[in-house]
Amino acid sequence: MKTIKSKLALAIALPAAIIANAASADVLFWSTQAKPVQEQQAMREQVLAGAGTVDYQANDGGPWLTRLQAELEAGSGSIGVLGALHGDYAAMDAADLVDLSDLGVESNSATFNNLAKLGESSLQYIPWMQASYIMAANKEALQYLPEGANIDALTYDQLIAWAANVHEATGEPKFGFPAGPKGLKHRFFQGYLYPSFTDGVVRTFASDKAVGAWEKFLELWEHTNPASTNFSFLQEQLLSGDAWIAFDHTSRLAQAFNERPDDFVAFPAPAGPEGRGFMPVLAGVAIPRTAPDMDAAKELVQHMLKPETQIATLRATNFFPVVDVNLPGDLPPAVAAAGNAVAKMSSSSDANPGLLPAGLGSKGGDFSKVYSDTFERIVLAGQDIRMVLDDQKGKLAAIMNETGAPCWAPDAPSEGACPVE
Amino acid sequence: MSTSLSNTSTVRAGRWVYGASVALLCAWVLVPIYLLLVNTLSSPAAVSGFPKSFVPEFDTASLEFFAGFSGMVSALINSIYVAAITMVLSIVIGAPAGYALSRFDFKGKELFRLLILLTRAFPLPLLALPLTVMFIQVGLDDTIFGLALVHTTLAIPFAVLITFSLFSGIPVELEEASWTLGCTRLTGFRYVVLPLILPGITASAIFAFVISWNEVFAAAVLTIENRTLTAFLLQNLDTSPLHLKFAGGFILVVPALVFIFAVRKYLFAMWGIANR
Repeated sequence: MKTIKSKLALAIALPAAIIANAASADVLFWSTQAKPVQEQQAMREQVLAGAGTVDYQANDGGPWLTRLQAELEAGSGSIGVLGALHGDYAAMDAADLVDLSDLGVESNSATFNNLAKLGESSLQYIPWMQASYIMAANKEALQYLPEGANIDALTYDQLIAWAANVHEATGEPKFGFPAGPKGLKHRFFQGYLYPSFTDGVVRTFASDKAVGAWEKFLELWEHTNPASTNFSFLQEQLLSGDAWIAFDHTSRLAQAFNERPDDFVAFPAPAGPEGRGFMPVLAGVAIPRTAPDMDAAKELVQHMLKPETQIATLRATNFFPVVDVNLPGDLPPAVAAAGNAVAKMSSSSDANPGLLPAGLGSKGGDFSKVYSDTFERIVLAGQDIRMVLDDQKGKLAAIMNETGAPCWAPDAPSEGACPVE
Repeated sequence: MSTSLSNTSTVRAGRWVYGASVALLCAWVLVPIYLLLVNTLSSPAAVSGFPKSFVPEFDTASLEFFAGFSGMVSALINSIYVAAITMVLSIVIGAPAGYALSRFDFKGKELFRLLILLTRAFPLPLLALPLTVMFIQVGLDDTIFGLALVHTTLAIPFAVLITFSLFSGIPVELEEASWTLGCTRLTGFRYVVLPLILPGITASAIFAFVISWNEVFAAAVLTIENRTLTAFLLQNLDTSPLHLKFAGGFILVVPALVFIFAVRKYLFAMWGIANR
């Protein structure tokens, strides 16, 4: 009985002490990026070291959004600065974000700055860092490159032939594709496969060229490790040898290059008949209207855009700067490898860059689901391509009509909602 | 002769099956924990390499990373506080409810039992938004006590149901006998019933502890500066490199194991009651 009483006293006394502790003046940096624990550590110790007292918290998307919505609804909160992808901000009401045009910082890319306006006339978030998706291969696979193929200018046909050669030589399918539950497969279809084969994403969704694109992907799938439906970070499979040739986000390949830099090569995504499709990834920093200390939050946003902070961020997260910086020579191997591959990809003569989906608002997730579902039905369930595309086309058109989002590159511009042709 | 022979062989086979089942059940629990330990104490190269070794190489780099991971210790302490408060609250609230359900007849008893279970019927992500808004307005937001309240709500159904069945297992005549010997309802409970159900209370306390220890979503949304270990670590492990996943998982599992180990004798005592 006595112990129960003392426990009760503890139960009542402790929270009181802890409530008193909570009132500190940290700026809370509420982020969905730099989530892996070692990246968080680097964010806290290196990137934010000179920025005063910043509490960097990385979260899953669900808690991130729920907490933010709760603070907006309650009208007061503790989040000072938000860090998230363009798509996360696009799903929000722009009025909930503080107008950041007067901060005097922006990215060096007019396209990014335009995206950051979220359809308003001023910056709603500040572009923070960028990345892309590239290919990586184990050097042992290089001997099986098809004759005449240049690894820096592969076509989809050559990639398939290469994967087939490896398959034949090793007896195992060794192409790795991020089709796992946390994998970013939808970005491959939106930013790579569709632009490369159809020169579009929405307009051409169910075109005859799209049927050709999916047929090509099925050919590639024959030489893809079937366990790919469980792969979400291809660095793991590159390191374990389950995949010799892989497609993934630059920061999801980084560990492989950093651990065994001499064993892997990074190279541009392949090209199709309509060019070399590729997609940038853009993260931004923003301030919610409920930020407790607006000045401190704005200072932190400015800090994130300083060239030296951008270089520290690059080291910490493998996301590249969005402002002009002089890159030092001693960057980690993954940064050098990925940076080279991205540079070759974007400067190739047949480059066909796709922009991030814009104007979809909260429907961004549904939009990506159309592509993931199409993949699952055609590739995993083996359904007829034409039938699936005609079926999914209706869902895509409904999303576009509901949001009224106009076409983005590489689709031709539209008046009003982007049509699915 | 032949019957006794077949009897001994049956007995022997029975023993063998019994032993094999015990070994299988132990392996079921211990092998994953052992593999967790081996991979925690392996270098990154060994973790992603193949074939795997069953002997750890005692590379502590992964654990050292977490030792230097700022906020770990305070998150661990927060987790213990929240779990402890949850434990106490769910027993203080749940045990009387269990007693009432087992000893008294009242209108709406069945409905009450159903309603208690209902708190588990709604997924937390659904409840978290309005709850957080309310907590911010009331001032409970980002406090250990506030989070413990939420976890208590989750743990109470177990506390009520476990204590209800325990109280039901204790004959009311025992209590009545104590009343005839000069006990009041309260002292009768204190000297006769409580000692008998203490092991069961421990069991429901363990449930409460584990529920609170493992809960992620509410903890991630409702605490910011006072994060619990799961909110702090678990939601970020899925995107971390494999060797840190193992080390982080190990760190999350060990305190719960230590706790259960510490209270195990009360648990065995409860099974003793059940066998009585």
